[in-house]
Amino acid sequence: MKCETAQEIIALSVYGELPDDQGPQLEQHLLSCEACRREFEAVQALAKAMALLPVEEPSANLIARSRLRLEEAIDTLPRGSWLLRGWQRFAQGAGRLRAAPVAVSAVLVAGLTVGGFSGYRAGEHAHDVTSPSTAITTQPPDDGGPVDIASVSNIVREPNTENVAVTYDRVQPETIHGSLDDPQIRQLLLIGARNRINSGVRDSSLRLLADECHAGHQCDDGPIRNSLLVALRYDKSEAVRLKALEGLQPYVADDVRVRDAVLEALMKDPNPEVRIQAISVLEPVEADSSVREVLHTVAARDDSPQIRTVSRQVLDQMPQVQ
Amino acid sequence: MSADSLRVFPPSGIQLPSRAAPKIKSSSGMAIDPSVRATETELIREAQQGSRTAFDALVRQYDQAVLRLALHLTGSEQDAEDIHQEAFLKAYRYLGNFRFECSFYTWIYRIVTNLCLDLLRRRKSRREDQAVTLDSSGEEIDLLTNVSDQRASANPDRELNRKFLGERIREALDKLTPRERMVFELKHFQGLKLRTIGEILNTTEETAKNTLFRATRKLRANLAELR
Repeated sequence: MKCETAQEIIALSVYGELPDDQGPQLEQHLLSCEACRREFEAVQALAKAMALLPVEEPSANLIARSRLRLEEAIDTLPRGSWLLRGWQRFAQGAGRLRAAPVAVSAVLVAGLTVGGFSGYRAGEHAHDVTSPSTAITTQPPDDGGPVDIASVSNIVREPNTENVAVTYDRVQPETIHGSLDDPQIRQLLLIGARNRINSGVRDSSLRLLADECHAGHQCDDGPIRNSLLVALRYDKSEAVRLKALEGLQPYVADDVRVRDAVLEALMKDPNPEVRIQAISVLEPVEADSSVREVLHTVAARDDSPQIRTVSRQVLDQMPQVQ
Repeated sequence: MSADSLRVFPPSGIQLPSRAAPKIKSSSGMAIDPSVRATETELIREAQQGSRTAFDALVRQYDQAVLRLALHLTGSEQDAEDIHQEAFLKAYRYLGNFRFECSFYTWIYRIVTNLCLDLLRRRKSRREDQAVTLDSSGEEIDLLTNVSDQRASANPDRELNRKFLGERIREALDKLTPRERMVFELKHFQGLKLRTIGEILNTTEETAKNTLFRATRKLRANLAELR
């Protein structure tokens, strides 16, 4: 064995990685070669020196703390597809709401019919079976406008009569004027952003929130950023998703959640424009390993040749990883 | 940290370093008892389908190893905790993407080492930005070594001396590039095989080996004055 070869494999030997068939040759060489023997001892000495910084077992305290923190974090995550399922349930519920006024009338009619019928049948006593009178008196609306009924919450029938008491919830439309910085307005915009039935409202709310975030107006970690993250992931309109990207852009470097959401958009968004925009939004965190990994995947597998090229360009521009 | 939580890992002579806690890996390396692996596969599938209990069980299998690695690499309990958090949250989020093309062990370690590399890079660039302080004689003071130097000379207590030397080792390690540091950590301190290290870092065993050589050469140069 030559010294050159020996030098190369001495470290392997010290670390137990030497292929078995090379062992005897190295041993022989070391017996006769002073220089290589010294090299071998030097590597051993280095390994010994490292014992001055021993690997410590994590304390029970540290383990417990970490597990607890993880539990809490997972508990408060908006769970991917679970969130989608939640929204679907909301949408279905909203559909049911629209049918509510119809349900109310149906219940009234049913109640009154049953009442009238039993009264008629019990006719031993002198019952004046007249046309059933409505037991409900509706409160006239305060402003004189139409009353929307949101839902019926309770129905009680007075025994042996044709009377029922129906409790229902009213929806009172109102308008509020104010500035986008007003917390109340923001609160309403957040609710508007969740509106699954009226896409126009959802669109406008998200656009306004995104503009606020993009301009850096009080968009610190919280519900507004969250609603943009969710919109980026789930909204059906690519215009809205593009808007959400724009709104999240200032935070991609500081907020890992934002970065990860943009990475997901780059990988999974069906619209190429969104994916391209995602690449440019990721520019401040280009050097991150997760980002590079995704860019590699996209450079190889994206459907759009333009996107593959752009990803490759971004990767090539980055300084060599050490 | 109490003395009994401190375990010294002897440098590997011709043998592999032994590790204190019982591990799934056998002494020959990656071979795992097939019955253990089968259970893990089931756990993963259950977790992918949404079982939180299954996911928690998976976490329990790996989180001590993750903390051990992060703690030794970063030297900070806080950083180790943060890495633990980020790594397992990522695992939770992207578990659906795991397609059994590699072992779950490799997958988790990939996530963790990438996070560690990110942290090492951030630290490195921060250190380079730090302004150098000058003392009264106009000599540059390295802010990191100043404190340990003073303590060691004032008190020749053995414990402190050991700590001082430990810090010197850490400084030498900090001079490596993040990748070199990572490979050295995984090989020397965590005892992984070069082949596994290659898989984890998404590179070849050959490249990992060369990185290891570079690291050992640099370390020897940096530590020459310790003798």
